[in-house]
Amino acid sequence: MSDLNCKRFILECLIEYEDGTMPADERALFEQHMELCPPCLRFLTSYRATGKTLKLLKPEEIPPDLAQSVLAFVRSRAGRKA
Amino acid sequence: MKPDGSAAQAEPTDLDLVRGIKSGDEDAFEQMVERYHARVYSLSYGVLRNAEDAEEATQDTFLTLYRKIGTFDESKKFFSWFYRVALNQAYSRARRRRPTTAAVPIEDYLPRFASDGHIASPELPDWSASIEDGAIARELAGRAGEFIADLPPAYRDVIWMYDVEEMSTADIAETLEISIPALKSRLHRARLYVRQRLAEISRAPAPEEVSR
Repeated sequence: MSDLNCKRFILECLIEYEDGTMPADERALFEQHMELCPPCLRFLTSYRATGKTLKLLKPEEIPPDLAQSVLAFVRSRAGRKA
Repeated sequence: MKPDGSAAQAEPTDLDLVRGIKSGDEDAFEQMVERYHARVYSLSYGVLRNAEDAEEATQDTFLTLYRKIGTFDESKKFFSWFYRVALNQAYSRARRRRPTTAAVPIEDYLPRFASDGHIASPELPDWSASIEDGAIARELAGRAGEFIADLPPAYRDVIWMYDVEEMSTADIAETLEISIPALKSRLHRARLYVRQRLAEISRAPAPEEVSR
């Protein structure tokens, strides 16, 4: 980690920093780097915002009668009662 | 025992239901539909971005389950097998619905660095605070969904399963039959791509703003 720079931070190590699998000593180096590197801190902030935004992509509602429509469809196609 | 003295009914496992379906138990099939219809719909919606198509893909997925359950290897995890069935159904329908377009070249959207390793990409506005506004966040999410749809499937599947469906890395790796390091690499690159595209649309003024 002695050659830590923005490229290593962003391309190689960021995901492990975020998912918590990075060893503690490397995390400390990362955090030191971010304190001294505003572009990387901004990058991390927007990377996290990307994840939060994606969580909004699930459909807001499931059709209420979906299970029944699935059963009716399968029964009509399966040749015998499903 | 429950408080009323009756024996507690254990929830059947996926494998219990699989074996029930194989033996023609229609109640087992109904329970499987009840257990997984919402997740299959959500996955299908992610690929197809359309409620009607997602519902039809969900129906097709369960019909395939019903017809092909005999091919399921019981030594494997059911959900991984079933998720692949659902993905294949959704992509098959997507190909019928949309003309095939070339997947986006993801490399074009990755950050660039100077020879000393520092960020060399042009500075983009920091849009991250804007998602505190729910309406803006939902609009950005919709655009993010469009951007994901343009990705090569290897990236699209991973980012959808992890960041939208919030599946575990172990389940995703088993479903897609890839290693955890490969999964993380794809996920990270897909996120970098979506981040860049969201930053770019945050930079560009909307057409109505230009005309004002």
